[in-house]
Amino acid sequence: MKVSYNWLQTYFDKKLPSPEKLGELLNEHAFELEGLEKTGNDAVLDLKVLPDRAHYALSHKGVASEAAAVTGLSLKPRSLASVPVDASVENVEVRVEDQKLCPRYVARRIDGVHVGDSPKWLKEGLEAIGQRSINSIVDALNFVMFDIGQPLHAFDAEKIKGAIAVRKAKKGEKITLLDGREVELLESDLLIADDEGPLVIAGVKGGKRAEVTSSTRSIIIESANFNPTAVRRTSTRANLRNDSSKRFENEITPSLAGEAMEQVTALILGLSKGAKAGAVTDSYPHPVKSWTVEIDPTYIDAVAGLSLTPKEIKSILTSLSCRVEEKGGAFLVTPPLERLDLRIPEDFADEVGRLHGYDRLQSVETPTIVHVPEDRTFYWSEKAKDALVRLGFSETLLYTLVPKGAFEISYPLASDKSALRERISPKLIESLAMNIRNADLLGLETIKIFEIGRIFPKTGEKTSLALGVALARKKKGVTAESCMKEALTALASALGVTVDGKIETTPHGSVVEIDFDAIIAKLPEKQSLEGITLVPLAKDLRYKPFSPYPYIVRDIAFFTPSGTNAAEVTSFMKEAAHTSAGSLLIKGPSLFDTFEKDGKVSYAFRMIFQSFERTLSDDEANSVMESVYGAVKSKGWHVR
Amino acid sequence: MKEESPKGHLHPVTSVIREICLIFDRMGFSVATGPELEDEFHNFDALNVPPDHPARDMQDTFWVKTKAGEPRKVLRTHTSSVQIRYMESIAKNPKPFKIIIPGKVFRNEATDTTHEAQFYQLEGLYVNRSVSMAELKGTLERFFKEFLGPETKVRFRSSYFGFVEPGIEVDVTWKGKWLEMLGAGLVHPEVIRAAGLDPKIWKGFAFGMGLDRLVMLRYGVDDIRHLYSGDLRLINQF
Repeated sequence: MKVSYNWLQTYFDKKLPSPEKLGELLNEHAFELEGLEKTGNDAVLDLKVLPDRAHYALSHKGVASEAAAVTGLSLKPRSLASVPVDASVENVEVRVEDQKLCPRYVARRIDGVHVGDSPKWLKEGLEAIGQRSINSIVDALNFVMFDIGQPLHAFDAEKIKGAIAVRKAKKGEKITLLDGREVELLESDLLIADDEGPLVIAGVKGGKRAEVTSSTRSIIIESANFNPTAVRRTSTRANLRNDSSKRFENEITPSLAGEAMEQVTALILGLSKGAKAGAVTDSYPHPVKSWTVEIDPTYIDAVAGLSLTPKEIKSILTSLSCRVEEKGGAFLVTPPLERLDLRIPEDFADEVGRLHGYDRLQSVETPTIVHVPEDRTFYWSEKAKDALVRLGFSETLLYTLVPKGAFEISYPLASDKSALRERISPKLIESLAMNIRNADLLGLETIKIFEIGRIFPKTGEKTSLALGVALARKKKGVTAESCMKEALTALASALGVTVDGKIETTPHGSVVEIDFDAIIAKLPEKQSLEGITLVPLAKDLRYKPFSPYPYIVRDIAFFTPSGTNAAEVTSFMKEAAHTSAGSLLIKGPSLFDTFEKDGKVSYAFRMIFQSFERTLSDDEANSVMESVYGAVKSKGWHVR
Repeated sequence: MKEESPKGHLHPVTSVIREICLIFDRMGFSVATGPELEDEFHNFDALNVPPDHPARDMQDTFWVKTKAGEPRKVLRTHTSSVQIRYMESIAKNPKPFKIIIPGKVFRNEATDTTHEAQFYQLEGLYVNRSVSMAELKGTLERFFKEFLGPETKVRFRSSYFGFVEPGIEVDVTWKGKWLEMLGAGLVHPEVIRAAGLDPKIWKGFAFGMGLDRLVMLRYGVDDIRHLYSGDLRLINQF
């Protein structure tokens, strides 16, 4: 909600604090301040109004009530005088067929209007909060909506045939909107219609037929209250969310409709010299009554935890224009009609807490109570993870959303994310394939990964354990299957039950997937997390981003005279490689082979090159290597 | 090549979950979990977010198709659904409890370096006969001091979540700046009632936070998507 500082000031006799200070106070006690922008001699505060405060705070009036509470300034009394009525102006005939969906409908005809440009103050006020000026009538309606929060509508009176009906749409009815778009209506949609058909989608959008144009001389103004759910359903379905529907969807008090009609009439009469207003027609069968909530100030204080006296609590509630009567030790609190959010004692505790300031809260420890048992799935999953990590397995957390599965998403974001995974394995195999390509970079001979997570087969959600192994290069006596068997044995001994699964072999490695719920079912409940080995990560651990480009591996082997010190050779190589490759050297040189032959020692080093900006070419790697060879040769060592 | 390191690596999200759970364990909290595929009742209705209420817009939901005649399901949008499930499970014989709920949650939104369709949350719930905002502050302050360091400060700001009243946003100091870290409040009486407990007797506080951003900030991870691609170039750094 964009709020003009100058506009807000009209609610106060005394000067408001600076926009910055006011923004800070509101941010602390009422609404998150999302932006503050200076424009000319005004400032615009962008406040995040959440659904609980949207009943009253999507308006300057509502924000002013909060500004009064947070600054301690008094609101200027507003005159509620009715505008003079001219008996020569026709009354509007209104027929509300669904009072549940339209609790109030106020209408009035104004004759002799001039539809033209708005005066400077009105244009500037609307423009400050990002609204385009359209014409004097539409601007007046918008001004009142942003001022007190009541959406309004105006019809060209001459274009309306017969009475105004508030009714549900008929089957097959259509309406052409102001922007020319045609909308098909459902029988559940609420309409404003005349004898000829739909005029407006109630609370949502006006139709073309009775549009106010520059030649309009007589208008009918609507100030109504519509059911939030009905407006929301229609506006969502027809994709017509706007400032009007937003206010109705959040529910506003029907009492506002009368006040808005008086205000907008006065404004239009002021803008159109010689215009005459008729009497209002007000369909309001069940006027809303104020409600009173009994609260116990000691309970409010206990909940808020602020150590406030009843007197302080009363003064905070009074600052929000609540009426507070004392009865015994209790308070009978009557909030203003627009404060539909204040219904139960906890709502008042929130008002007291935020306005007094949660920063003044003391910290209190909770009492010690009996510890309840740990979740079995969590405990045993973590236990299994410990065992697997010890064996060299790394944990993945892969995507639940996959291309195909028994449970499908209704409106998927992308075709490869249109169902819930039935198994972990397919993604785990993809992960094996990716990681095996990076084995050198990772410094691994074997890629071993696992995941314990939820899967969604046809029978429903369950916990699954999946293991994956792939060998980067052959190693004597080691196969993917043997690694897998070793893992299953270790799991069995960590959990104390047999763990078995069918090993699947794929071109990218081996996987096994096990029903972990079935294993947990055999395991006991635990009273604490003891036994799970925390692997505390160093607090100063910093992640190093990796390059998305391919890397190049190069080896170098050379003979040195007998007795050459390995440490010395390594340190020389480090220096030489760094000098030659600079930042392209991302791993190594690492010594991977040493042997002695004919009184000479052979050393073999491996280096990995990669760029963060581009795919390295072989030529680039070759030129780096030439320079490394040069350095080695300069030592008199013989490159093999 | 040198002998590879025999140890594998826990995913950093798991490590952070463990670290947090152990801190809360010392304050008497136990771990609870619940399903990722939820019904509307546990994910929304029971949490005081009625159908056709603007508060439902606050979360973009993945709806999951079900067979004709079956109620539709959602991928849970928060771990708060487990609050309801836990309270239901003890409603016949209610006793005070403190639980902590880590888990995977889902939001139907476009992904980029800081947004993912799946991420992790951690939620806490304390229920007793009398519970105050001051106890909520005491609990969170102690947690953040242990988790982030003894110099950490905690600040409450007024906010709204349907399932708590009062509802607050919690900021903590991080490297000299205030950072929005968590949503919290006292459990709304309607939520306690929906879960089968008597709100006249039972009160509670609850809090919830996203873990991915925490992991990213703490360790400097530059792209949330790397957390879920199964890439050991990330995982094996932890």
